[in-house]
Amino acid sequence: MAVTEKNILTRLYFVVACLFLFAGAILFKLLNIQLVQGDKYQELAMKRTEKMFTIAPNRGNLYSDDGSLLATSVSRYTIRFDAVTVKDSDFKENIVPLSNALSRMLGKSSSHYQQLLRKARVNKNRYALIARNLDYSEYMAVKDFPLFNKGPYKGGLIIEQKTVREHPLGKIAERSVGYERVDENGYYTRVGLEGAFGEYLRGVEGKRLKQKIAKGQWKPIGWDNIVEPKDGYDVISTIDINIQDIAHHALLGQLEKYKADHGCVIVMETKTGEVKAISNLGRTEAGKYYERLNYAIGESHEPGSTFKLMTLVAALEDGIKDTSDIIDTKKGVWKIYNHRVRDSKYGGYGKISFGKAFEVSSNTAFAQVIHEGYKSNPDKFVNRLMAMNVHRKLDLPIKGEGEPVLRSPGDKGWSGLSLAQMAYGYEVSMTPLQTLTFYNAIANDGEMVKPRLIKEVKEWNHTIQKFDKEVIDRAICSKETAAKAKALMKNVVENPHGTGHGLYSPNFSMAGKTGTAQKDYVSKDPDKLKYISTFAGYFPAEDPKYSCIVVIHEPDKSVGYYGADVSGPVFKSIAQKVYATSPLIDEVDMNAVEDEDLEKNYQRYYAISQKKYNKVPNVKGMSGMDAISILENLGIEVEVKGNGKVKRQSVAHGTDIKKAKKITLELS
Amino acid sequence: MSGKSVLKRVDWLSVLFYLLLIGIGWLNIYSSTFSESDSSIFDFGTLHGKQLFFIGASFASIVILLALEANFYERFSSLLYIISMVLLLGLFVFGKTIAGATSWYDLGFFNLQPSELAKVATALALAKYLSDIQTDIKRRKDQLYAFSIILIPALLIIPQPDPGSALVFFSLAFVIFREGLPLYYLGIALLAIVVFITTLMFGTIWVIIFIALLLILFFLLKKKKFKVPMLPLTAAIILTILFSLSVDFVFNNVFEQRHRDRFSLWLRLEKDPKKLDQIRKTIGYNTYQSEKAIESGGLFGKGFLEGTRTKGDFVPEQHTDYIFTTVGEEWGFLGTSTVVILFTLLLLRLVYLAERQKTDFSRMYGYGVVSILLIHYFINIGMVIGVLPTIGIPLPFFSYGGSGLMFFTALLFIFLKLDANRLKEGI
Repeated sequence: MAVTEKNILTRLYFVVACLFLFAGAILFKLLNIQLVQGDKYQELAMKRTEKMFTIAPNRGNLYSDDGSLLATSVSRYTIRFDAVTVKDSDFKENIVPLSNALSRMLGKSSSHYQQLLRKARVNKNRYALIARNLDYSEYMAVKDFPLFNKGPYKGGLIIEQKTVREHPLGKIAERSVGYERVDENGYYTRVGLEGAFGEYLRGVEGKRLKQKIAKGQWKPIGWDNIVEPKDGYDVISTIDINIQDIAHHALLGQLEKYKADHGCVIVMETKTGEVKAISNLGRTEAGKYYERLNYAIGESHEPGSTFKLMTLVAALEDGIKDTSDIIDTKKGVWKIYNHRVRDSKYGGYGKISFGKAFEVSSNTAFAQVIHEGYKSNPDKFVNRLMAMNVHRKLDLPIKGEGEPVLRSPGDKGWSGLSLAQMAYGYEVSMTPLQTLTFYNAIANDGEMVKPRLIKEVKEWNHTIQKFDKEVIDRAICSKETAAKAKALMKNVVENPHGTGHGLYSPNFSMAGKTGTAQKDYVSKDPDKLKYISTFAGYFPAEDPKYSCIVVIHEPDKSVGYYGADVSGPVFKSIAQKVYATSPLIDEVDMNAVEDEDLEKNYQRYYAISQKKYNKVPNVKGMSGMDAISILENLGIEVEVKGNGKVKRQSVAHGTDIKKAKKITLELS
Repeated sequence: MSGKSVLKRVDWLSVLFYLLLIGIGWLNIYSSTFSESDSSIFDFGTLHGKQLFFIGASFASIVILLALEANFYERFSSLLYIISMVLLLGLFVFGKTIAGATSWYDLGFFNLQPSELAKVATALALAKYLSDIQTDIKRRKDQLYAFSIILIPALLIIPQPDPGSALVFFSLAFVIFREGLPLYYLGIALLAIVVFITTLMFGTIWVIIFIALLLILFFLLKKKKFKVPMLPLTAAIILTILFSLSVDFVFNNVFEQRHRDRFSLWLRLEKDPKKLDQIRKTIGYNTYQSEKAIESGGLFGKGFLEGTRTKGDFVPEQHTDYIFTTVGEEWGFLGTSTVVILFTLLLLRLVYLAERQKTDFSRMYGYGVVSILLIHYFINIGMVIGVLPTIGIPLPFFSYGGSGLMFFTALLFIFLKLDANRLKEGI
């Protein structure tokens, strides 16, 4: 070779230097990546490979006061079919039996399913919908259907599970039971009891760190969840499903009869304030009624004549008038400034007592009493009403309580007419539940209790929290005043001249006050005049157990609009039915069927059947069925002649079982 | 010659490096192809099981390679070269396409990649040609012949397409260089690379500006007596500028978008960080994932079989071209530096062995082995850690692949056999 030694040596060094340079560069870069940037990228890698998963807790159940389910979470299953993963032979073999099975369960024809499956197969549909919203037992059955029993890969079965909130009572109290939804921004929509008691029912989300091990596959890290999920508590509400059912149907019937726009009913236990039923029905455009909005709690409106109770109690307390004082109803029209107060009875009631004015619901009498009594000091009247908590919200856990309106002199809208107007329920505004709370206080001899929808919070059988009655005001009025008011409310129904006498029944007693308020009365057009018909009261009249209010908005005037006619019957039917049916308890007395003989026989059979035998037992005297079951369980073939108890056995007791292959029993 | 004497004379240090690399390599293949359901490491249905089989086969072939007469290799190198060229040609007709490249013969149990055989054959053929007493590398004609030996297989391999393997043959130019190719060839090659990269990164204008600056510097610093060869200098400058312009043209008009993207990514040509990130995650997905996997290893790594990215199959082709990421993730910097150092030591040892050869053929072949291993090792690791653009090329002794392992083993042990024989035979 023509290359000199020196030249070669330089070239060798060059080669070796290059090698070191390469190695050095690579090591430097590795060092840089793995150590210098390492931490940063490690964190990045962690983020991409580890993720916090939330574990949804089970929402608690909502119960009625007797433990019936109002709302519970159940699993629903959607079945889909991956038509591609299934082998041709499996598909051909199983399509007919599978379609038959689906047809039997789901109702549509077998050919419908065959067509559906074939179409999915042709279109290479990997996500064909078979059925939605199956319950657990149906889902278990579907899993065993031909083809599907081969599982997700060979059988193409795709199961999607979701948890839905089920209301076993259906439409009854749907709105009151309500719901709680959370949107993707974490904003809650809370409605009804579900919303009100969401914090108990909801539970706490669990957290679990998972690591990505392959596309779409995550492996939990470590033994424990970072945060254990905590299931929601069960909430026992005060709702009584029987009363709720009665209230719902009574209201529905009346709304349909009067083609009213909407209405509500509340039934409350007098002593405790527990709300036993709350029903809200509104009409859809198609004329059907559904639980739409919570009118009972949310809708504040001018109460009309039912407010006369508040007026009456105020006047009595302040000593303005007593029930026996006589008032002139001025032939049914009393002029004040430019305004005319009219009685609903044309020509008025003549000169009547204040008490009778309440019973017949005379507007002129009430307007005069309050106007004359308080005009020198209107604040006194308003303060009295405030002292009775008429202006106060009830501060319920359910969102959206309507705002009561009670003006004071000097407030915007206050005028010289205000006292007279307020006397019979205008220029004030209350929700049905607020009105009922007042009526309940009178029924309760002046003690005002807060309406309550929750009784107890439980975790399984363990009580977390119990709710007792809450008193808003020990006495909103004196016992005497309450007694007088109660007597008058009883007369409203029982006296022949009372506005509620049409509701009277000799079989049970009830007391209350009718109200027929005008709605949109600002409009002079009489056709546009609408009414709110109310009946508020309690039953039984003598010893109030429940108070109740029925409010029906905008009944068809051609059918009727008086509170006594429209709302009264709902009240009556609730009172009547609750009265009549509340002792009825759906319980089967197990002891009733106990029969000593039967029990003895069973004990003997049980004793024998539990023993292990090597020898043929004595079955004489036993019933044929018991004897057969014992002997056959021992592996002996049994032949039976006749009916009844065993008279004779062909193989004597005590014989070795192995020898007794067949035994004949004679029964008689 | 008896087998015993071969065993005595064979360079055990190289064998040790070889065994270590194969061993570590297999562990990493095992880790990256391991799945819970695998029953046994000897299950030949699994990739690591197959690889184990080929390791065994390689050991068997070592026995044969060492047992053959040393001068067999020199004698049959031309024939071997012709056979491998025929096999490369045959691919156009009988080739089996895997992952878009028609580079394999389907032999049933395994796929033979003739380009691997061609590497060995070309190294032998080149050594034979250069060591021929008739050859003078200073002569243009001989240079042309020598380069033809390299270029023929490369040109046959490029259309497969397998640019990575083709590139390997150019590394053999190193051997020619070692044997006395004038230095300016190397200078031109280096200049071409520099101009290529500069043009892509800064544009032709800047290339001209750089040249101008260099010229000014050159004239300022040159000794007064130094006579500048004006004509060659001017010609060189014009050629350089033309080359720079052609690079621009080729890049924008001849390259396909995917090639452009690779360079965009490598040289960070894309200035919009959002677009760059987009390219990183699509075209550069492999590199992106492999970098992330290596980075996540840190100093000590996550431990054998503990690599989450390895197990999660984050890195595509991890058991073949990207096997180094497994090392990075599971063994950390300690692992990667060990592998780099092992390779470097092996190559240095081979350079040392090559230099001590008595025959030109053995020495040149030795350099051929070094060049081939070096370029594989440099380009593969460079690609995996993102300092070089993505070029599909395996990591010798490491990457999964039967024919690859067999031929790398053959490549190495033919040289070790020649080395063992060096004292016995003269020219």
